Amino acid sequence: MPYRLSRKSPSLGRLLAGLCLLLAGLLGCLPTQAADILLTGAEDSPGVQSFANALSEMRPADTVRFQALASLPVPGKLPAGTRLILLDLPSLDWRLQDAQGPATLVLRISRLQAHQRFGTHLPPHLSLLWSDPPLDRQLRLIQLILPQAHRVGVLYDSHSEFLLQELHQAAQPLGLELVSERWDNTSDSRPLQTLLKSSDVLLGLDDPDLYNPKTAKNLLLSSYARQLALIGPNAAFVKAGSLASTYSDQHDWLAVLNELLDRPPSSWPRMLYPQHFKVLSNPQVARSLGIEPMNEASVATQLAEGESRP
Amino acid sequence: MSFGAPSPRSPLVLALIFSSPALPDDLFLDNEPLPQVLTATRLKQSPAAVPGSMTVIDSELINASGARDISELLRLVPGMMVGNISGNQAAVNYHGTNATEARRMQVLIDGRSVYRAGLATVDWSDIPVAMEDIERIEVFRGPNTVSYGANALMAVVNIITRHPADSHGTRMKITRGQRGIDDFYASQGVGWDDGDLRLSLSGQHDDGFDSNRFGGDYRDSRRLNRFNLAVSQTLNDNQSIDWQLNAKDGTNQRPYTYRPVFPGITAAGNNSDVTAKDYAGSLRWNLDINPDHSLYIQGSAQHWDRQQTWRACDAEVSFSPQLSELWQLNPNYTERLARNMDRYAGPGAPAGTAAEQALGNQALEQWRNGARQTLCGDIDQSARESRYDLELQDTLSLSDSLRLVSGMNYRYDRADSETYFNGTLDDTTWRTFGQLEWRATEHWLLQGGAMFEDTQLTGSSLTPRVAVNYLITPRHGLRAVYSEAIRSPDMFENNVNWSYQVKNLRPSAYGQTSARYFVKTRGPGDLEQERMRSRELGYNGYFAGPGLTVDVKLFYDEITGMISEPLRNNQYIASNSNTARFKGTETQLDWRLGSADRLRFTYAYVDAEASNPLDEQLTARNSGSAGWLRDWGLGWNSALFYYGDDALNGYRFERVDTRIAKRIGLGKASLELAGVLQQRLDNQPTTFVDNNYDERRVLYFSAELTF
Repeated sequence: MPYRLSRKSPSLGRLLAGLCLLLAGLLGCLPTQAADILLTGAEDSPGVQSFANALSEMRPADTVRFQALASLPVPGKLPAGTRLILLDLPSLDWRLQDAQGPATLVLRISRLQAHQRFGTHLPPHLSLLWSDPPLDRQLRLIQLILPQAHRVGVLYDSHSEFLLQELHQAAQPLGLELVSERWDNTSDSRPLQTLLKSSDVLLGLDDPDLYNPKTAKNLLLSSYARQLALIGPNAAFVKAGSLASTYSDQHDWLAVLNELLDRPPSSWPRMLYPQHFKVLSNPQVARSLGIEPMNEASVATQLAEGESRP
Repeated sequence: MSFGAPSPRSPLVLALIFSSPALPDDLFLDNEPLPQVLTATRLKQSPAAVPGSMTVIDSELINASGARDISELLRLVPGMMVGNISGNQAAVNYHGTNATEARRMQVLIDGRSVYRAGLATVDWSDIPVAMEDIERIEVFRGPNTVSYGANALMAVVNIITRHPADSHGTRMKITRGQRGIDDFYASQGVGWDDGDLRLSLSGQHDDGFDSNRFGGDYRDSRRLNRFNLAVSQTLNDNQSIDWQLNAKDGTNQRPYTYRPVFPGITAAGNNSDVTAKDYAGSLRWNLDINPDHSLYIQGSAQHWDRQQTWRACDAEVSFSPQLSELWQLNPNYTERLARNMDRYAGPGAPAGTAAEQALGNQALEQWRNGARQTLCGDIDQSARESRYDLELQDTLSLSDSLRLVSGMNYRYDRADSETYFNGTLDDTTWRTFGQLEWRATEHWLLQGGAMFEDTQLTGSSLTPRVAVNYLITPRHGLRAVYSEAIRSPDMFENNVNWSYQVKNLRPSAYGQTSARYFVKTRGPGDLEQERMRSRELGYNGYFAGPGLTVDVKLFYDEITGMISEPLRNNQYIASNSNTARFKGTETQLDWRLGSADRLRFTYAYVDAEASNPLDEQLTARNSGSAGWLRDWGLGWNSALFYYGDDALNGYRFERVDTRIAKRIGLGKASLELAGVLQQRLDNQPTTFVDNNYDERRVLYFSAELTF
């Protein structure tokens, strides 16, 4: 089951990494040779450059370079030892055209995007690193900052429906009750109203059909009118008026990549939520809702501690 | 006044820019531009930080109460005195004052004042809003002219209707029950790409009270229909408009209350019913200049039309020009003479000045020569009132801890009534206000402001307000508030020019079929504003663990320059010579026990002392409410409320209301069946001696279909 795998992979990853270090120490298979790390995406941008540079600084022994998708041959023609890092969905499409090719890490892909592309059958030769905050982490964030909230309201549509079961399983051990409402037509606010009536807090799924600039106003104003907080779906929404969310920025992703690139590609997980993350909150919204101002770093630390426990 | 974006060179703006540095290009943070929705200007203070006492009646309470009237809902507000003048006239006052007039509270619907321009009242039953369209009612308990304008003297009732975006779909509801209860409601809400609309139609009917003090049928039923249209339209990322149209048409029965002045008159009319029509339209333009600066401009027009023509009977001498003249000279003398015509017919007019006696004797002469015959004619007590209002309000967040709300308001009021004003009277009001909220530290919050108002008829005034909140934690706050407020005398009190031109006289009076009744009353024209000084200490807290919200306040309010003479057409001599003082305490608890139960409790102890005993009438020393709402699951809900006032106008009021509802899912639709039982626990009339029910209980049922 993908859910289990993804949830356990961080600890599994750490275990494997530890094991590798141990083996390395014992057998002298110390640092793998300088690797060729190839980043690719449809187009270059200052953001891409800054990321490539930062990764390069972090791994001086490796060759890190960005090459735009258009200038690349089919994946199978790339040297086998290359570590390929995909930065967008066009590059994923390009990679998928060839079953052969170097070990690949896929960045900036959400569970929803992967589900739309692959359904339940994920491609065997890729490692997918999820961009959306893990649901379990978001639920624990709710528990930490809104301890009195019991009923967690979730809007979904046909694209995000597959996440519900996973959400239920994550909510159960936390003692949270999940209230879900299908919202296929976002210009009809009835499902939202129904949900607001029966929830203590709203959890946003990273589903751009539901959470986008067009719906933001109605979602945030309606929930605020009922003095309900929205958690998630991402950092941008927190700036718009959501109470808080966990998220991973470039710094976190660099740390995640660094750990993965230290390991042989054969040990890369098929999918992974970043174990490095931060918490972003909206202090003005918190103040208006009468919630104690939160120390984002310490909340993040508490959440991380919860995850590292077996 | 210019409200452009502040100059980018201003040090303040620079500080704002540098205090929230823009994120560098981060590949992993969503770069999709998202509007900042809950901005510093949109967010309100948390309950513990509110500079005063506030009671919010939310939609859950509105629904659970089963109430058919806004005034009935106000029983849930501690310190609110809710009584009835008749079945279709509620008398609502915060803490008290006169039972027949409730004129010291501001009542707003979506920011539009529905306090009648000319006649100093709120016609609760005629407010053109259906209960089903109300999202919540926020009651600010205490004076707040800074935020709500003059007349927010004792409290402010802010009725907020459901946003069109939150009213999608179809709702149909009918209510039937005892006492002639027969209501309906139907609404349709639709949304499009950047806008939403709600259209609703509703109607209400009931028989009012059953019997008057003599056991006879009490004429106070009502029938009304309403139309409401609310539209919200987003123009672009930072602009939107909201507009509304409201109309209400109905009849309110009134008993025949004219008591003949002259002896021996037995003929009488049988009613003085009112046809009441209310129309209102408003348009509001919202502009978000940036996340820290927003403003709106709201314009509204309202029209109140009260048609009240009825047949009354008295002696022909009521239309004697000599008696009219005598009234102008000395109303007391005239009244004494008029009530005792037979006694003075022989000996002649009572002692007085030569002019009084001469006129008195002429009237007596007419009396002896047949002017004692009974005449009946049409009295027209109709009034039309209009109000045009334009308001600009600007909210500027100067920093994370400093916010300024300021604005100005222009209002034009016109009242048109032959009987009350002998034609048309108008008034113009200019108002400007500002309030600063300063969060000095995490714990201390200082809020202060002032309003300056100038009215054409009564002059200008300045009222300050200051509040200090100490937040123990963000959810527990102590507050100390001092505020001053004014109420401008309304046109009626100050400028009434009250006389009746009676038409269709049969038989004719002195050969005329239309003649002027001898009593004429004029307002003094030089009344000043009533002034309130209010002091308050309070605590508001939310205990997250048990889900308990608590609000407690102690208050000491004084009104000086009080105009407390009742509006009567014989010898109405208004003055600013009265005072009143209210002190006491109020408590409000709201406890959500888990997700199924909610308990609510309010209590008020009010000690009233007034120079005019009439102003102590509508104060219950002890009053309160208790409620229990429960969701039983499987669509079943129940609510149980108790309301009590130890004495309103001398009468006890205790009632228990029960509402039981069952929601049935019908595919995409849902049907709710509900029954409401109201049981009076006492045997007393309601507020006035004529307000009696035959049965102490009433039962009504409703069915509501939503899809």
